[in-house]
Amino acid sequence: MASITYDEGAHLLRRIGFGGSPAEIDEITALGREGAVDFLINYDRIDNRATDDLLRSSFDFSNPGDLPRFNLGELQRWWFTRMVYTRHPFEEKMTLFWHNHFATSASKTGDLFIYNQNLTLRNHALDQFDNLLLLVAQDPAMLLWLDGVTNVRGKPNENFARELQELFTMGLADAVTGEGNYTEDDVKEIARAFTGWKFFHPPFDPNPFSYQFIVNEPEHDNTTKSIYKGTPWAQSGNLNGDDVILTICARRATGRYIVKKLFEFFVYPLEGSAADKTTVDKFADVYFSRNHSIKELVRAIFTSDEFFSERARFALIKSPVEVIVGAIRMLGARYNPGTSARPGASNNTLAAISIFLGQALFNPPDVSGWKLNLGWINTSTLLNRFTYADLLVVSRTLDLSAPGLWLSHEQVRSFAKRNSKKTVKRLLSILGPLEVGGDIISALRNYLETDEFGNAVGFTLDDPTVDKKVRGLIHLIMCLSEFQLN
Amino acid sequence: MPVTRRQFIKRGAGLVTVGMVIPKLWLSDARAEQVEFIPHRKLVVIQLIGGNDGFNTVVPYTDARYHSLRPILGFTDSELVGANGVSTVVSDQFGLHPSMTEIKQLYEEGRVAVVLGVGYPNPNLSHFLSMDIWHTADPSGQGSRGWLGKYADLALIGQPNLTAASIGSLDLPKSFGADRFVVPNIINFSLYNFLADPNYPGDSNNQINAFNVAASRSMSSGSFIGAVNNTAFESVRGAQQVQRSISSYKSLVTYPANNPLATGLQMVAQLMTTVPEASLLYVQMGNFDNHSDQIGDRQGDRSNKRVGDHATLLKWFSEAIKLFHDDLTEHGLADDVLMMQWSEFGRRPGENASFGTDHGTAAPIFVMGNPVRGGIYGEQPSLAATELDPAGNVKFTVDFREAYATILDRWLGADSKTVLGSQYSNIGFLG
Repeated sequence: MASITYDEGAHLLRRIGFGGSPAEIDEITALGREGAVDFLINYDRIDNRATDDLLRSSFDFSNPGDLPRFNLGELQRWWFTRMVYTRHPFEEKMTLFWHNHFATSASKTGDLFIYNQNLTLRNHALDQFDNLLLLVAQDPAMLLWLDGVTNVRGKPNENFARELQELFTMGLADAVTGEGNYTEDDVKEIARAFTGWKFFHPPFDPNPFSYQFIVNEPEHDNTTKSIYKGTPWAQSGNLNGDDVILTICARRATGRYIVKKLFEFFVYPLEGSAADKTTVDKFADVYFSRNHSIKELVRAIFTSDEFFSERARFALIKSPVEVIVGAIRMLGARYNPGTSARPGASNNTLAAISIFLGQALFNPPDVSGWKLNLGWINTSTLLNRFTYADLLVVSRTLDLSAPGLWLSHEQVRSFAKRNSKKTVKRLLSILGPLEVGGDIISALRNYLETDEFGNAVGFTLDDPTVDKKVRGLIHLIMCLSEFQLN
Repeated sequence: MPVTRRQFIKRGAGLVTVGMVIPKLWLSDARAEQVEFIPHRKLVVIQLIGGNDGFNTVVPYTDARYHSLRPILGFTDSELVGANGVSTVVSDQFGLHPSMTEIKQLYEEGRVAVVLGVGYPNPNLSHFLSMDIWHTADPSGQGSRGWLGKYADLALIGQPNLTAASIGSLDLPKSFGADRFVVPNIINFSLYNFLADPNYPGDSNNQINAFNVAASRSMSSGSFIGAVNNTAFESVRGAQQVQRSISSYKSLVTYPANNPLATGLQMVAQLMTTVPEASLLYVQMGNFDNHSDQIGDRQGDRSNKRVGDHATLLKWFSEAIKLFHDDLTEHGLADDVLMMQWSEFGRRPGENASFGTDHGTAAPIFVMGNPVRGGIYGEQPSLAATELDPAGNVKFTVDFREAYATILDRWLGADSKTVLGSQYSNIGFLG
């Protein structure tokens, strides 16, 4: 069992979740590489009842027709509450991954179905990929989003058949060989296989969220379809959507594409080099040898030398959600999610901030999802990250009647060490651990030691100085480019 | 999404610090096809969110079908009179909603073009899908770049100072979705700055000094950290430059605090009158989705058509446009500014049972300002029973992309065919 250092443990927690407090990092580090990963990906074994209780008391999704209590804003608030409080951070991170992968927008599906889709994604996030894909394909949100419900015999709609291949399974071209994965004919044939796919609410089911998938036979094209002609995966016959999904999931191209998506979300961006192609195939082998199990695939990825390599360290740029939730969790800030008892109240601080930073949960810009890494960064969104950092550090009071953030004086004081150097290093560690040059450490120490007239007065630990300077230091560190990296 | 003007931070005045470098927008390398940027050709886009009821905005008061479809909501010509006692009738067929006395006045001065029947093929009655279609000028709804983003990629890359901004909303309108050009979202001016702790204003200089040490590090922009660092530098410099400019704004115009569009247009005026390059600005107001309470007060007086959600919104719209126009006139900019209003769809000609109207299709849009040739353009869609679609909605007569093309070609000096992908007719409101 390989052991890991504190920095490696922090790296693991940042990637597999949203980062951790020093105590959490210590706990994880103690488990070693395989132990830590096993612990984090088997989150069903972790007690999350406190989170569940909080969600129950803060949200009321019993009636989707009760608009003040069930709406997109409430769903966003729910998801942020989960991310901040959960003891299953990987569940949230993996759901975020699938939300971006099967990028579906609430603006077309409506709130009930986007919520149902979120449950489907999180409940099957680590399943065999074929199973997750089939459930997503049959889920009302996807059927609405990519026009599955209007895809009928005689008038096939190709939208889903195209994105299924281009975005959800294989990509246009094989991630390793570059060969084209499918033709326009395949899109047409596959569209026919998915005709008649519908959903309905079982007539006497009192659960308003209960929807079932059905193939409406009169609208289903039950003639022969031929796909991937002339390739080893050629199939011909009265194929339906299930058959197509099984065929696609068995293709080498799919293993490679899914590996590439996971790698670029959780490890580092891949280039087209021979070494990277070897990496893709190494993990694609796991996909195939473990019967397409996403759990085993992510286990292999997170325990790999690639994941713990220098190349992987701070190789990604945090998404808005990671900036927001990460800072709260790393700093031990508190978030009062509010309750459903005050419907229509402005409960939605974190979701609003996330939109401000460029990520509206449940509303990705289009079916290809959010653009990662530098896609999050421009002169406008980056300025807004600095604004969030300021909002967080000036949240001095806990108002139980109003939802919002709270960074308590006690918590801030706990970061203050006996001199400016130790304090700067302490906070760089808390918010990372971040590695910055001596010039930055000097500048941050200078900040701590300088008064409003520009005089060097030294850093003291009295409450007013801690309140002013340590909060200010947190703000400055969160504005560092190093902090934007993951 | 309804407009929220609420700040999520309660703050006092923003900090103003001196910026010294003219900011460049991140991502350079100009493309071969550039469009000339003409800074004195300015465009303000005003989005009415929710689907503005066109038939009660530009009232076809002589159309018997209008009256039979709207026995309660419909305006007769004698009801088209503003609170100032002046008729809002603008032609022998049409009159403006009685709230719109200021727009009527501007119309009399030749500064308002009303384009009737604006919509698109295969109308979509979903707010967000319809908005996407208007934003991207792509009726398939699959477009990713916005029409203004495409224009900006051609004309505004490399321009110094703030050329374009979205004012007052939390998220950037998809009209500005661009490949390279970055449009800031300015919720309000106090948030558009490098913010420090308001409890310790004296400490802000120390904050900015420390930030600058980090942000002015020279790093290779080929790496993620380098690209982020360069952007950090530019983002704060750009914001500070704007803060410095806008602090010199003076105006004789008083914008009422309770009018959200007035607040937004005042910010536009503040930018336009102090930053000469600011020429593409965008504001939103809502919420026009009046399925109910379109007329009447909520205390139960349902019959008063002069009040109601729609009347209030149109009053805000009319008043704000006039004040903004006055402000521009005072600063000698009125000849340089064109305003275009749009909404994702109109509303159904037939009223519903809740004193409101449901999602519709085509509606008139207003293009306003000194540069327009005032008048009525387009063609009123027919309300004949045989001409309505199965949902009871009218057919559009003017494709919205014609309005975009007219503005792109004849105002902004950009080739509309390049931006929109096809050639669309000139509507004529710019000659």
